[in-house]
Amino acid sequence: MLNIDALMNCFGNSACLVTQSATGLIIGMLLFLVASGVTLIFGVLHVVNFAHGAFYMIGAYAAYSAYGVTGNYYLSVLAGAVAAAIVGVLFERLAISRVYKENLLMQLLVCYAFVLICDDAVKIIWGAEYLAMGIPSEFRVPPLRIAGGVVPPFYLFLAGSALAVAILSVILIRYSRFGKIVRAAAENATMVSVLGIRVPLYFAALFGLGCALAGMAGALAAPVRSLTPGMGLSILIESFIVTVIGGMGSIPGALLAAILLGFTRSFGSVGFPLFVDGAMFLMMVVILVFRPQGLLGERMVR
Amino acid sequence: MLRLDHLVKKFGGLTATNDVTLDFPAGTLSAIIGPNGAGKTTLFNQITGHLVPTSGKIVFAGEDITGMKPAAIVRKGIGRAFQVANIFPTMTVEEALASAVSAHAHAAFELSSAFPRRDVKTRTEELLALLGMEPVARRISGEISHGDQKLLDVGLALALDPKLLLLDEPAAGMGPEERWQMMDTVQRLWKSQNMTLIFIEHDIDLVFRTAEIIHVLRYGAVLASGQADEIRGNPEVIEAYLGSETDATEADSREEPA
Amino acid sequence: MNLAHPFVRAAGLALVCFVLLIVLALVYPGTWLLDTLTGLFASGLLVMSLHLLVGYTGLVSFGHAAYFASGGYIFGMFLQTPDIVAAFGAWSVPVATLLALLGTGLFALVVGLICARLSEIYFAFLTLAFQMLLVSVIQGLVQYTGGDQGLMGGIPRPEFLGLDMVQVKDRFVFSAFLFLAGVLVIRLVTLSSLGATLRMVRDNEVRTAFLGVNTYRVKVLAFTIAGAVAGLGGVILAILTSAAYPEWAGWAVSGEAIFTIMLGGLHSFYGPLVGVVVMRFINDVTLIYTTHTDLAKGVAILFVVLVLRRGILDWIIDLRAARRGRKEDDNVSRALSKAGKEAEDAAS
Repeated sequence: MLNIDALMNCFGNSACLVTQSATGLIIGMLLFLVASGVTLIFGVLHVVNFAHGAFYMIGAYAAYSAYGVTGNYYLSVLAGAVAAAIVGVLFERLAISRVYKENLLMQLLVCYAFVLICDDAVKIIWGAEYLAMGIPSEFRVPPLRIAGGVVPPFYLFLAGSALAVAILSVILIRYSRFGKIVRAAAENATMVSVLGIRVPLYFAALFGLGCALAGMAGALAAPVRSLTPGMGLSILIESFIVTVIGGMGSIPGALLAAILLGFTRSFGSVGFPLFVDGAMFLMMVVILVFRPQGLLGERMVR
Repeated sequence: MLRLDHLVKKFGGLTATNDVTLDFPAGTLSAIIGPNGAGKTTLFNQITGHLVPTSGKIVFAGEDITGMKPAAIVRKGIGRAFQVANIFPTMTVEEALASAVSAHAHAAFELSSAFPRRDVKTRTEELLALLGMEPVARRISGEISHGDQKLLDVGLALALDPKLLLLDEPAAGMGPEERWQMMDTVQRLWKSQNMTLIFIEHDIDLVFRTAEIIHVLRYGAVLASGQADEIRGNPEVIEAYLGSETDATEADSREEPA
Repeated sequence: MNLAHPFVRAAGLALVCFVLLIVLALVYPGTWLLDTLTGLFASGLLVMSLHLLVGYTGLVSFGHAAYFASGGYIFGMFLQTPDIVAAFGAWSVPVATLLALLGTGLFALVVGLICARLSEIYFAFLTLAFQMLLVSVIQGLVQYTGGDQGLMGGIPRPEFLGLDMVQVKDRFVFSAFLFLAGVLVIRLVTLSSLGATLRMVRDNEVRTAFLGVNTYRVKVLAFTIAGAVAGLGGVILAILTSAAYPEWAGWAVSGEAIFTIMLGGLHSFYGPLVGVVVMRFINDVTLIYTTHTDLAKGVAILFVVLVLRRGILDWIIDLRAARRGRKEDDNVSRALSKAGKEAEDAAS
């Protein structure tokens, strides 16, 4: 189960080190993008979006179809984000907004139902088989060689754009007028609605934004992952591990935890391939037991 | 029964309890009054272990209980009812009382017989009669009147056969008629249960009629202590109290159930 | 009223059910109904034990499938070890069942000791994490568990007391026994003083602690009992399928179990069982028309949660109480006391 030698060999070999680090970095950054959506929604609306993985899947499939039509990868990524945002706003308005005030159980069930419906809908529309999008033509260039390791430029693009978009959206929530209104509304909806602001629309928009981040992550990842109904599940669970380890509601915490998890995944596949998932859950267990508020989280949430 | 010895509680720069030394002899019925923010509830929270005093000592029945955990203090024999009725909303009144009695009878983990056990049931019926709650015994706690919920909260504390009972504004949020009834019930319970009772109350008239000994708190410190007549004539008390009459009514109206 | 009464009634009911099920097994000519019911017994124990946590104690565990799978795997791995089976001979199946019960209880105890300290959301996450951890361990320990493929190759189940688990009727009777025993255990908990304590913790944990009850211990105990009973459900499924799979510990199983409780009724003891049957019905009926059963389930969940806002049995009980209330309009207090007693009987 554990292959220490292989792991030590990799640490001692710059080529392996660079290759695995690059892999860890893109896994981490995509995870960060998804997790920042979870964190934004939870941080402002105090709703745990257990359906977040479904939006990642929607983004990936939408990008796949858009790429088939336009052949333009950048447009496809945009299409993935927009599709997830639209479905997200509909989901928020029609279902989840009705259980904002209910207990965790109700929210959990609504999300669970949505995931079931989405997975089957994807099966109906795109079929149950694995789909592959392939590396977009723009990025079919020879990989960079750094210290003997192989780093495809596409990876750098993925990691860079995921990080940039996640940080941009955080800045948007923190400093823009929209962000200020929506945060104020979450604190005291009545007060804000008295000012003539349509609070439900702002909540829906924020929810949509969170979903768009997941959709974009799915779209960005589409060329390097195989598409399958139910692909949202593992990313959902990983992004929850990220939010829990980093601290619910903390964006820097999510970034730190996402990188940690990315490296666990990439180096774990060398050292303990069968226990990669187990190692991630173990990390979460340890954090929850010894520091339930997460690495950089501040408050306990009931 | 209970002695507070130079008790101090500070929250940052704010001194909520300022060198309070008070004695509550066994079997007495005392009231703590004072304007809003005088530190009355903070004092209770320290006695029941919900807050740890910054300095000073709390001695109960000859034992220093300062800094003990709430559950341990409960087991020593201090019961408490809360300012906002702290009950079990989906259980019936009877069930809730029986559960509390059961917990006190060390049966909380018992699997061997049906709930409630015979002795528990007997004691529960006694309590219901004592509180005059038989008519609502089978109703869901969350659906009975606000006054009954406050009474149930008192009943939950009584179920533990406390030596000392602390009531935090037992009549808060009630109508004038109900307030008098509640204080009558409190007095009746105290007489019948052979215990020491301390209650917090805003309404000076209620306090004067009910309590044997009255302690007036202001800015976290003891302003005056004595029997009703002594307090009534104390100019400092009159000034402190009349000055904040409006605050007190505001606080009451906020506690009205929605 | 005799204090032992509710216990006696529950035990009597279980006995009557057992006799009826044996009669059913004897007179029913085919196998379909018996195997279907055996499957329902397995899900029934999973769901009813989870209900002890979610409905009675207010603990939303999102990883209850772990204990279900644990039961099945302990049972299967024990019986797949030839030396052990040779040693225990005809007692192998009962011993394996007992070990699965105790082993799963111990597993739940350890997880409970860790999880019960945390508040709602974190509790849900951590139980989920332990469930996924178990899936990883099962998948990782290929040489013992068969990894992704599950415990294949059949589980040997030597005859005992004249019962042969290969026979549909025999395994139906044994499963019915395990199921009724499990339900009875949960019923006893809910009817006892411990059950009242669980409901106190659910309603107001802080107040319960202030009545001198160690609420942490209460939660750990409930978690352990629920885990052990869920393990018994896993044993039934292992007997039925002669296998065990990592998917049994998957999040879909936990999610469906939570929904089944909600569907049947969160506030009544037998609600979850209604949910199990209805769920199975939705599943089978949908399969006649389409393979997209998840779509149908999802729509059903949204309907129950957003429109009915309560489970089927809760809905029926509310309806009945309302009707009775109207009949006895002249005597409101009596109606209310009846509704109260009903709620008490329904143990909510």
